[in-house]
Amino acid sequence: MAAVDAADARGRHAEDQPVVSLLTSAVTIAEFQLRRMLTRSRLAVAAIGILFPAAVVAAVGRTAGFPIERDLAALLIYALVPEAVCVLALLVTMCPVVADELERGTWIHVAVRPNGRRAMILGTFAAAVIWTVSVGTLALIPAVLVSGTEEPMRVFSVMLGLIVLSAAGRGALFALPAVIVPKRAMVASVGLALVVEYLAGLLPAVINQATVSLRLRSLLVEGMGWRRRLPAEVQLLIDTQPPSVQVLAVLVLVTLLLGLAVVIAERRQFPPSEEI
Amino acid sequence: MVTDQDPRAADVGQPQGLPAIDVVDLVKHYQARDGSVVRAVDGVSFNVHRGETVGLLGANGAGKTTLLRMLVTLLKPTSGTASVDGVDIREDPLGVRRRIGYVSATTGVPDRLTPRETLISYGRLHGIPTAELEASVERLVGALGMTSYADRPSGRLSSGQRQRVSLGRALVHEPPVLVFDEPTAAVDLLGSRELLDLLAQLRSEGRAILLSTHRLHEIERRCDRFVIMHAGRIVARGTREELLEPSEDSIEDAFYRAVAS
Repeated sequence: MAAVDAADARGRHAEDQPVVSLLTSAVTIAEFQLRRMLTRSRLAVAAIGILFPAAVVAAVGRTAGFPIERDLAALLIYALVPEAVCVLALLVTMCPVVADELERGTWIHVAVRPNGRRAMILGTFAAAVIWTVSVGTLALIPAVLVSGTEEPMRVFSVMLGLIVLSAAGRGALFALPAVIVPKRAMVASVGLALVVEYLAGLLPAVINQATVSLRLRSLLVEGMGWRRRLPAEVQLLIDTQPPSVQVLAVLVLVTLLLGLAVVIAERRQFPPSEEI
Repeated sequence: MVTDQDPRAADVGQPQGLPAIDVVDLVKHYQARDGSVVRAVDGVSFNVHRGETVGLLGANGAGKTTLLRMLVTLLKPTSGTASVDGVDIREDPLGVRRRIGYVSATTGVPDRLTPRETLISYGRLHGIPTAELEASVERLVGALGMTSYADRPSGRLSSGQRQRVSLGRALVHEPPVLVFDEPTAAVDLLGSRELLDLLAQLRSEGRAILLSTHRLHEIERRCDRFVIMHAGRIVARGTREELLEPSEDSIEDAFYRAVAS
């Protein structure tokens, strides 16, 4: 029974090194998802996403005059790149994680592997973050250059940090609808972004502590040195903890949301009519 | 013919020893959208031993796919249980996934990956070390006759070639138990015959094979035993000889009679 012995040995290997085994599996899925993203249509959409912020900044510059004042440029670029571009990129990369596999008939073949479901969530998350950070960074460069703002390196570095945190935080957030309602994931994610991130996140209450947008806004204010100049009513919309706490809060949120998504994916069942 | 209600049912035509697949009173009920309960699988018991191929027969909606998906841990049973190579599907689904290979009618082979890349990718999901995995994939590429197209994107392969890739994917971790759900449904006659020949080879290596199909004539002489399902229940089981009445000359006749009764 060579087959039986081999299976036992391999089973033991995976059991002995579960973390290494899971990481290898997640990297495999991430590589596969990145390859899948590199299609002409996806690249064309990404190109629009990359050029769109610079075009808006140029339009504002024509009205307000060049160079755009630093604070206005930072606010504008923040709204366009770490918020709009990142959220849109995540909607097309993270949301379809389960629905795409169901449609292609690959979910069942992934789900019957020991690391399959959790690697699918973690690997797709990694690919979505890499893709979003790449698109966001490429969008940031022309937007900053076109603005002609003073301190471009400062604006660039602050925004780059916010892009990374936005991609990770919102990617983990969108993983939840992706596993709970895979076929309505995009609509549910837009709803979640509006209700949680942009409504609850703006409430001066405890609930906004659990949003990524509060952390990003707080880091933006800190990074651009705006805190002392903010009116009292706007101070309520940010958190006064140091930047390290804001980053840590996002990492905790990412861990919790991804962990929850993995648990749900492990337990999720689809009737044969849905699992092709 | 022996049915589930017959006290001899558990012993009919079975080899001795511990079964590789042991299904005990397995039940799966779904809640339909109108609130009614659909009894997709309703108290099914049977087993499959190593070195044995068991054919799971039934019309559309008989509950075959639901049953197989419970065995491969894609679905959770409502009640009852089953074990795969001694591992309980409820208590240790990850252990079951290490021991089982699954092939479905829709191959779900990624178009962008080559067969070799597909096997390596899925092998990694089992945590197999790289060197061991590469050697295993090379063996499979040769054994399944995929050498000439192993590095061609799977989107450019024929349905038969894609089903071979799917079979290779199910074998990459060398599981002792194999579950096939309509593996020849999308394959032409030649491809189907080649696939069934490969199954016979896998059986001779000592693997337990559970094979669901509509194409009864294809597997009539290839299965050691048959389990016939209808409306979520087993209506007949046994070897070909046990199932056939003297007036019948094909498993199709026995199938129609079992389902009609």
